[in-house]
This record gives sequence, C-alpha cells and structure tokens, in this order.
Amino acid sequence: MDRVVLDGLSKRYGRLWALRDVRARFAPGETVMVIGPNGSGKSTLIRCMLGLVHPTEGGISINGCEVGRDPSYRAGIGYMPQFAEFPRELTVEQLLRMMSDIRGSRSGAMDDRLISQLGMDALLDKRIGSLSGGMRQKVSAVLAFRYRPDLLVLDEPTAGLDPVSAGKLLDAAMRAKRDGATVLITSHIMEEVERLGDRVAYLEDGRLRFVLPPELILEATGERTLSQALPAYLSKKHRSHVEGL
Amino acid sequence: MRRARRIGTLTLLVFGPAFTVFAGIWRHASPTGLNALIQRANTGDTIVVEGTVTEGTIWIDRTITLLGGRAAVIDGGGEGDAVSITADDVVVRGFSIRGARHSNLDDMAGIKVNDCRGAVIASNTFEQCFFAIYLSGADDATVQSNTVHGSVAEPDRMANGIHLWKCARARIAGNRVHHQRDGIYLEFVTDSRILGNHTWSNERYGLHFMFSHRDSYEGNRFEGNGAGVAVMFSKEIEMIRNEFRSNLGGSAYGLLLKEINDAHIHGNMFDGNTVGMLLDGCNRASIVDNDLRGNGWAVKLFANSTATVFERNTFSGNTFDMTTNGDLVLTTLRGNYWDRYRGYDLDRDGRGDVPYRPLSIFALVAERMPYAMVLARSLMVNLLDQGERIVPTFTPAALLDGSPLMKPPHG
Amino acid sequence: MWKVCKYTLLDLARNRFAIGYALLLLVTSSGLFMLEADDTKALITLSQVVLALTPLLALVFTIIWHFNQLEFTVLLAVQPLRRESILRAQYIAVSTALSGSFVLGVGLPVLAWAPGPVAWTLLLTGIGLTLVFCALGLWIAVWQRDRAKAVGIGLVTWVGLVLLYDTLLLWIMFTFSDRPIEPLIVPLAALNPIDLSRIIIMLRIDLAALLGYTGAVYERFFGSIGGAAVSATALALWMAIPFLLATRSFVRKDL
Repeated sequence: MDRVVLDGLSKRYGRLWALRDVRARFAPGETVMVIGPNGSGKSTLIRCMLGLVHPTEGGISINGCEVGRDPSYRAGIGYMPQFAEFPRELTVEQLLRMMSDIRGSRSGAMDDRLISQLGMDALLDKRIGSLSGGMRQKVSAVLAFRYRPDLLVLDEPTAGLDPVSAGKLLDAAMRAKRDGATVLITSHIMEEVERLGDRVAYLEDGRLRFVLPPELILEATGERTLSQALPAYLSKKHRSHVEGL
Repeated sequence: MRRARRIGTLTLLVFGPAFTVFAGIWRHASPTGLNALIQRANTGDTIVVEGTVTEGTIWIDRTITLLGGRAAVIDGGGEGDAVSITADDVVVRGFSIRGARHSNLDDMAGIKVNDCRGAVIASNTFEQCFFAIYLSGADDATVQSNTVHGSVAEPDRMANGIHLWKCARARIAGNRVHHQRDGIYLEFVTDSRILGNHTWSNERYGLHFMFSHRDSYEGNRFEGNGAGVAVMFSKEIEMIRNEFRSNLGGSAYGLLLKEINDAHIHGNMFDGNTVGMLLDGCNRASIVDNDLRGNGWAVKLFANSTATVFERNTFSGNTFDMTTNGDLVLTTLRGNYWDRYRGYDLDRDGRGDVPYRPLSIFALVAERMPYAMVLARSLMVNLLDQGERIVPTFTPAALLDGSPLMKPPHG
Repeated sequence: MWKVCKYTLLDLARNRFAIGYALLLLVTSSGLFMLEADDTKALITLSQVVLALTPLLALVFTIIWHFNQLEFTVLLAVQPLRRESILRAQYIAVSTALSGSFVLGVGLPVLAWAPGPVAWTLLLTGIGLTLVFCALGLWIAVWQRDRAKAVGIGLVTWVGLVLLYDTLLLWIMFTFSDRPIEPLIVPLAALNPIDLSRIIIMLRIDLAALLGYTGAVYERFFGSIGGAAVSATALALWMAIPFLLATRSFVRKDL
C-alpha cells in the first residue's frame, strides 16, 4: 500500500495558486527529494501533508487515513522544520519529556541513537534559550526521529548543521528508510539530492513537473551530475516521463 | 394623708395591702389606683411604682417624683397618652412605658409634658409608643438616658422619638432612639443642649431642628437614619464632635442644613453617607476640623450659601469632595486636607504650594445627569478632572484651597 | 491537552516578562501601601492602576507570546493533537501565568495591608480581567498573521475599551440627555469588561454615592446575588466568546 497519496491536491492563497492538481504516490521504504525553485510550492506541499495547511481542492491520505480533522494519523509522522523554536525556558530534557508525554503510548520504543550521535548528551540539562541555532536544529532532528515515524519529513535538514552532524543526520534518514519509512526531504544541495533520493520530485509554479529516479534524469540528458542534468532535462521538456507515474 | 418626711422609720398601712406609705414616699404596686394616689400626694412626694399599671393615662398635675421600682411598667392601653405631666419639676424615672398608640388627631405620647418647667424624664424605656417623649412649652426640661424602641410601620403611623415644641434651656442627653420618624425633633427650641445621644434607623431624621436657635449638640451619634440630621431655619447652632454615619439613599444626608445662619460645625465625623453635608441657604457657617470620609458627596454647597468657611477638614475616600450648583459667594477654603491633592510642598511648611480645586467637572456632569455615575473613577473621567483642575474652564476658578494640607490634620 | 498546558506553564513560570510583570505589580502595590497612610486611598489608587494595567499587559503579553511561540505551536500542530486542544492548553497556561503574576503582585500586598471585601473584589476582578484580555489577545494574535499589526490592534482595543468607550458613553449621555436613556446606561456600561469590573469595585468603594440616585438600580443590578451572577456571566462571556472565535480561527488557519 502506498504510504502517501496526493490526489489532485490544490492550494490557493487569495489569487495565487501555490499548488495545482498535484498527484503522486510515495511508497514505504523510499526517499523522495522534493526540489524546485523558491516559491514553487515545496513548503506548501509539505505543510499540506502535515495537516498545517488546508488544501483548497483534492486530498491527501497517509497510511490510508484521509488527512483532516482527526489528528491520529500524525502519530506516524516525524517532522523537522527548517527553523525550529522551542519554549526557551525548558531544558532539552524537559522538551523531550513533553513530546513523549504528548505522543503517549506509541512512543514505547524510542530511537535515541541520534542523541549520542549528535553529541547531545551533554546538552540535556541545558535551557533551550541558551542553545545556538545549530544546536536547536539538532534537538529538532532528535525529535523528528525519536518516535520511529513511518513518514519522515525533513525540511532543509542540513541547512544550519555542521558537515559532520549533517552527515549523521542523513545517515539516520537512510537508516529509517531501510527500516521501512517513507522519507521526504527538501533540499537545495543537488549532490545530496542525487546521492540520497530514490526519486526526485520537482515542483514549479505549484505544479509537480515530475517524480523520477535521479538516474533516469541523468540517463535522459546524458549529463553526469544532477545539477547539470536538471536544467537540460527541463529545457528539453521531457514531459513524457511524467506520465509514467 | 401627708406624712412628715421622716427617714422611713414609721410605716403605716393605710388602705389595705396595696398601699404602703412612707413618710413622703409612697409605694404603689397595683394595676390601678395610681392616679388616685397622685391626687393624694403632695408637692415633693415620691411615688415608687412596682409592677404594671394599666389604668390608661397617668395624670401628674403636681410636683412629684415618680420612680419605677421592680418591673415598673406603665401601659397607656392605647387610649391617649401613657403619662401626662402638667406640673413643674416633675420627675419620671425608671419606667418601661408603652401603649400610646397612633392617632390621627392627637399627638399621643409615652410621656407628654405640657406647659410646665423643669421636668425630668430619665432612664425610661419606651415601646409601642406613637411619640415617646413629647415636650410642649416645657422649659428647663431634662430628658436623659431614655431608650426608645420604635417599630417599623407605615410612615404616617410613625412619630418622633423625642419631640420638643417651644421649649427653652432643655437638656437632652444620653438617649437612644431607633425606628421612629425623627429620632429627636426640636421646633422653636432655644438655648438647649443635646449631648451624647444615639439615634439610628429612624424613618426620617436622626435629629431635626426647626426654627430653633442658640442650641448646641455635641458628641451624638447618628447612624443609618433615613435622611440623616436636618437643621432648618435656625440660627447659631453648634454642632460639635458628632458622628454622622451610613445615611444612605436618594435624599439621605449626614447633615442637611437649610436656611440657617452662624452655624458652628466643629470636629464632626461624616463617614459613609450618600451626602456628607448639604448646605442650602446657609450664611456664615464655620466648618472646621471635621473628618469627611467615604461619602458619596462629602459636601454639597448650594450657591445660595454665603460666607462659608472650611478649615482644617479632612476629605478622604469620598467619591466627590465638593459640588455646587452655581457661583459661590465668599466661600473660603483654607488649609484642608484633600486626598486627591497631587501638589508638592517645597518649603516644607506642611501646606501644598499649589492650590487645590475641589470641584471636579465630573461632579458637575453627575449633578446634571445622575446616571453618569457609572463612569466614576474611569480613566476618562480622571483625565477629564485632571485637565479641568489644570485649566479650569467649567468649574468656578475662585473656589480653591490656597493652602491645602499635605497630611490629614488629625492623624 | 493538560500535558501541553503543564509544560507551557513550566516555561512561562520562568518567563522574564511574566516575572517582570509580577514584580512591577508587587512594587507598585507595596509602594502604594507603604507611601500612603490611608489604606482606602491606596486601594482606590491601586484599583485604578489594576483596571488600566491588567488589560493592557494581558493583551500585549498574550499577543507577543503567541508570536514568539508560533514555530513551536506549528511543531505541536504536527503532533497527534487536535488544534483545539493546543489552543486551549495555551490559553489556560498563559492566563494562569498572568493571573499568578497578578495574585503575587497585587493579591499578596492587598491582603496583607488591607484585607476585606474591597481587597477580595479587587483580586477577583483583576483575575477576571486577566482571563478576559488573555482571550482577546489570543484571538487577535491567531487572527492576525503579522506581529506588529496584532500588537497595534491590541493597543487600539485597549484604548478603545479603557478610554474611548467611556467617552462615547458620555457623549451619548449628553447628546440624548433629553430622552429617557437612563435605563440603557448601566447595561451599556456593563457591556465593556473594564467598565463592568470598575463598577463591581465601585460598588464596594463608592456605594454611598451610587446609592444617591440610581442606587436602587445599582443595588438590584449588581449588588444582589443575581447581580453578581449577571456580572460573572458577562465576564465569562467576554472570556468565552473571544476564546471560541480564536479557536475557530486557529482550527481553520493555515499554519
């Protein structure tokens, strides 16, 4: 069964269509890299899946559950926002406990490997307000992975992180994928997209232009890297591949 | 029957067991026959009464002393007065007097004193009386330490507790009156003193002067009377160290002064009255050392009053300190304490260096539109009042205290 | 919901502004009582400070706090929680924190220096105002996307309720003074939560004056048990309606 089904998803802000008739299916155990220019609708797409933004038309189902007023489907989602803010006066440990309390019984077997991998052990009793931006990103990452989600949404996850931590984070994402999770990552770093993505979803002007494995794009254009292949592919308007969905 | 006043040694039984006759001292302990005994008594005799007397009005037409002994009750029975005094220097003391019921035609009283001098009414308790004590044309009378228990009734079925009409040199002291029409009522009463009485919960006024002059009242307590204390059409009344408290209602005052001249109002306490003091057509009133606290309107000074002097009074916690209805003539405010005063005292003489204007514009508004009271103490009203105090536009600029005290004068 | 509430409150308990607010009130009220020999006068002044300051701080604090908290609120909205629960938890937390500041800053000094009916009335109406204006602030914050605009609307709301409303009322009284508007005035005043609170306090302090004319009306309207119930209901509505509007707006909002 598909983990995520986007069924004619459209979102309009005033006169502006942020998403138009987006249709896609994401399977368990795959990594989808969501890319596209600024303002192409990546963020809106993600927010629709998370239930933060209400679609104008169409629908989303996750694990067979329609995304709507019932919040229970979100128990399977791990989300790492681009910029995370937490209550400044809580300690990291209190924040983790708060989230566990909210998550309730599903949190039975928590994945705390990232805590030590990202060197967070020493930070547990620190006030969040005293942490740097990068450290807060790490806290955010820990929270996203901690409850063994089957849909992991990472929004520009490596943006504020040092290279070592970024690597560990992406390793963890791959691990989650191998464990059967669907991993959605937005990124601007083509090297990352090419290396990690089982498929690449390209958004432009609110439309989903294609969802394809990176190798296929390279093959179609004959380029060696994705950063070179993408513009070539788009300019050749190889739209036929899109229908292969 | 007159016996020489020997010191109670020889006792003669005269008419059976009911009457024991001492030398000049009679003892009466029967429901009836008191009038007859009085008729036999001579000037200066004393009659001691025990138990209840129920023979209608007791007529005292000669100078005797009527003393209440054990459980002494005079019950008038509701027909006429309970006791009627028409002779000089009569003393009635220590009775419980009841049963002078309401009448539309006559002023029925517990004790009525008519046209005689030197009556002493003391330490009696009155219940179920229309008037309790009624003095008419009775000079040099003393009314002391009586207690009048009135009861709630239709207003036209209530009369005054202690009522004086055309009396001079009366002394009314230490009485307690409640639930009558007026607690103490004085009409055409001159050169009299009213001391240490306590009146409360009376239908109209706790104390009421009409056309009475050169009287003084001192150390009395007036609480929760329908309309407070009224002094009307009177001259040279001294009002000293009285307490006016909790007279609340639409037309209730601590002290209502109407058409009076040369009043001295010193050292009184006005606390929690709707209007502390109302001056209507008063000339040369001197209002000094009074304490006005927590009243709705501490002072309402009508413009028909002239030459009023306010000095060393304390105004604190009142909703309005002072209001008026026009241009005031010759009103002097000097060295009072105003809790709303926000001035400073650079020369440290205890008096503020900028004058205080007690009239607030909001008070004028509330005067015109009573329902504007809902806005009292709102930020808007405070700003309005502060602005008006800085630049008086609507309130009379002349009415100001040039030397307001920084602290209350009496602690 | 209670879990969110608990941790939010834990965070707010150490919030600098909430602590600063408590200290400000504490200094103000203790200072008043220490400088002013007459406790009644101090209570009157303090009640005026409370009537103006409490709504302002509750509004502005709630709005700013909401925007500071927004990223985390989004994170909460991604958890398996209903949005209604999130907002309810946040409202309870923020209004409890501010009420706590108020009780510490005003309640303790008042009960220490001038215990009595006026003190209790002041305390309860202050808490009531805090709850009302937290709800209003939350509504404004949820409904507006822009922080500066929301704070602006909050300030305008405050000025409107604390000053303009009364001015308008006075204007109505003057303009229609020849018509029988008297029965309208008290209910109109009671529509404004600040005015209502002020009248409730005034009934304790200025009863003497209030009994002057409209005494009977006042007594019947506010003084009786029924009146207290009416007043409490009015404040409760002022709390509930903005909160429900905030919830509606929050549930429908794209975060």
